[in-house]
Amino acid sequence: MLFFNFSLQLFAVPEGKSGPQVIEMLTKRAIALGAVLSGSFIVDCETYSSTASLGAPRSVHLLHNSETPASVFALLEAASGNKTVALVADNLFDLLMLKLSNFYTAKKQTKIESRGPRFEAGDFLVKLGSVTMGPAFKGILVEVEYQACSLPAACWDLIREFMQGFLGGCVPSTPPPYIQVCSFFLLPSRFGDMLGTIDGINQYLEQFNAFRKTTGIR
Amino acid sequence: MADHSSKLDIVQATAALKSLRSLRNNVGTLFHSLTEGIGLQSGQDSKESRFVAELQQQLVTVQSGVKEFEEAINNVDSVQVNLGNSGHLNQDCTPDALNLYESLVTSYRWTDNLVEYSGYATTLLSQNALKRSTLIHAKRRRIQPSSQNVPPHTIDNVINSVCRSLGDNVKIETFRPYGSSTVLQITLGKIMKGIVVLKRLMVEWVVVKGATEDLIEDGKIDMWGESRYKVFRKVTENANAAMLHFYSPAYPELAIRSFLTWFNSYQSLFTSPCKKCGHHLHNLLPPTWRDLRTLDPYHEDCKP
Amino acid sequence: MANQNPFSAIELFTSALRSNIIPNQEYLLQGSVIDSSAEVLHNRLRGLCDAAETGPETFHDHEMCFSLKASNPGGTPQQQQPFLLRVRRALDHPEYPWQLRYLGQPELGDKNQPTVLRSCIDIACTPNVVEFLSELGCRIEFEYVLKGYLFRKGRMKVTMSKIFRMGQAKSPDSLESVTGSYLVELSLLAPSGQDAVADEIKVFAEQLRPLVHLEKIDYRRLQQPFT
Repeated sequence: MLFFNFSLQLFAVPEGKSGPQVIEMLTKRAIALGAVLSGSFIVDCETYSSTASLGAPRSVHLLHNSETPASVFALLEAASGNKTVALVADNLFDLLMLKLSNFYTAKKQTKIESRGPRFEAGDFLVKLGSVTMGPAFKGILVEVEYQACSLPAACWDLIREFMQGFLGGCVPSTPPPYIQVCSFFLLPSRFGDMLGTIDGINQYLEQFNAFRKTTGIR
Repeated sequence: MADHSSKLDIVQATAALKSLRSLRNNVGTLFHSLTEGIGLQSGQDSKESRFVAELQQQLVTVQSGVKEFEEAINNVDSVQVNLGNSGHLNQDCTPDALNLYESLVTSYRWTDNLVEYSGYATTLLSQNALKRSTLIHAKRRRIQPSSQNVPPHTIDNVINSVCRSLGDNVKIETFRPYGSSTVLQITLGKIMKGIVVLKRLMVEWVVVKGATEDLIEDGKIDMWGESRYKVFRKVTENANAAMLHFYSPAYPELAIRSFLTWFNSYQSLFTSPCKKCGHHLHNLLPPTWRDLRTLDPYHEDCKP
Repeated sequence: MANQNPFSAIELFTSALRSNIIPNQEYLLQGSVIDSSAEVLHNRLRGLCDAAETGPETFHDHEMCFSLKASNPGGTPQQQQPFLLRVRRALDHPEYPWQLRYLGQPELGDKNQPTVLRSCIDIACTPNVVEFLSELGCRIEFEYVLKGYLFRKGRMKVTMSKIFRMGQAKSPDSLESVTGSYLVELSLLAPSGQDAVADEIKVFAEQLRPLVHLEKIDYRRLQQPFT
């Protein structure tokens, strides 16, 4: 089972440093805090757009997370304004997306992913991801998850203190907006857990979209 | 009651075993020199007579060893268990009664040991007064009936009134899966859950888990499994310590009320920083200790 | 737990596609039996299939069929062809995941091909799939309720079910059966290229021969009288 009480933090790459150098530096800091390396992770995202024949434009973002390897997250941006429908499905959904190629096609050169080492520190989970779009390095995303608590609002201060411990001053002092709007945590059913993971995926999508809009390294 | 002379005397028995061992050793040497024989240069008188003399000496040693062993055995032999008339079971030759005697002796010994050990325990305990409550001496007479026999509905009433006084964020459900003992499942908002096992109105056992962890496994309450998360394992530890602190057979109702109030203070497990160091985290854990009087949060190492 | 060096999901997926391990081909035979004879067939199937002593699983599903097609006439010919997707949910087990299913055009093949072959993708998903599909541009075409039994025989799946019209009240009591017979389907899902299993199906169908005739049904021919 997975929890979604995590914070995704952009770590600005300092001038004159390369991505791997920053990752190495953060790894050292995390280990100094007591974190233990436990494998690596990858989150990737591909975006499909509707063809003109379907009328109003829509796009489907297909995300995978190595933390939930059997699932695909399909986030559909509806034609009507700001609604997003988040579907969690088996990984055969990828195959269906190929079948839909008459109506939805993948945007060229927009496949984006964040991959890197994964650490465990007490009840914290830390993932240091280098973001790449195609061959280009775009920046660094740090994911911190406090697994013991499922109430984002309750443990934000805790997470912030932890992040400040190894990210330094770039951590904001106010909770990110998603914490206030996050409304579907702890649904009783199995879907509750499934939908829960979507919250994290949403954060990744937001960051990925921001990366796509900027040229160069963020 | 068993009299102490019928107990197996360890000193005697060890002595007997020792003499048996030396006897075996001597017999071994004897047979060894016998198999060696006179040696290659036979015909030499001096050699032959020396061999015989050696053999003789060894035989004497064995003989005295046997005597010694018999004596030792006699000393040990007094360890007959006195079973009275049941001792005749020994002579019963029906096949299904064969084991009876043996198990009779075993259980006899067992009971015997039990009596002996409890005797020691009483002496030891009376020397070191281990009291869980300071009140126990003064009011010993009055307390016992009130804490020993509490009907279930009284427990329910007490729990309900405590629960109401703690506010909306606490949910307490009661179960009685194994007869009379009450099991409380306490949910503190979306922070954590706990299982508290009561004996009458006294807390016997506490387990704390995260809000997303399941307390019920295969339809049964899982009372023994520990949490997946370090923080709740620590809280479980502390809750058991607090349970002992609040234990008071004189005022069981007060005890459970204080314990639950203390437990309720974990609502702020993730939100309030440590009273001493002002930080949230220490050793990657939030303040997992709550002061027993003031309910202030402290880290494990910051405890006053 | 993430493995030491995770492949991206796409890499894993394409390698699975390439090595042909995704079961996406359905071999299918269909037939029907009238209600009065259903019990005989039920008993025969119970005897022939696995888990004879525990009996078959029952199911009670609601199926919706969605179609996606171009809204303006400017599209390519393929886009004019509607793309069909089915959503199924278990009415008797609301906690089960919902199922999204894509079915390709059935291929009848030549006479020697013993079963209908169609591509088939079954995807378990969250219940908001209906909302997802409507936002995707799909329109609901029809819906119905299926109630019946599921037998297994090795990899083969035999279903015997009654089709009901969706009542207005959408309550189980207002079910109105469409026909006076049971639909019998014998199917097997396998990765493509395993045509030998079709013979296995054919043999099993022969064993049911006197009770029910399971055949390759040509939908295009069935539709002809109505158009």
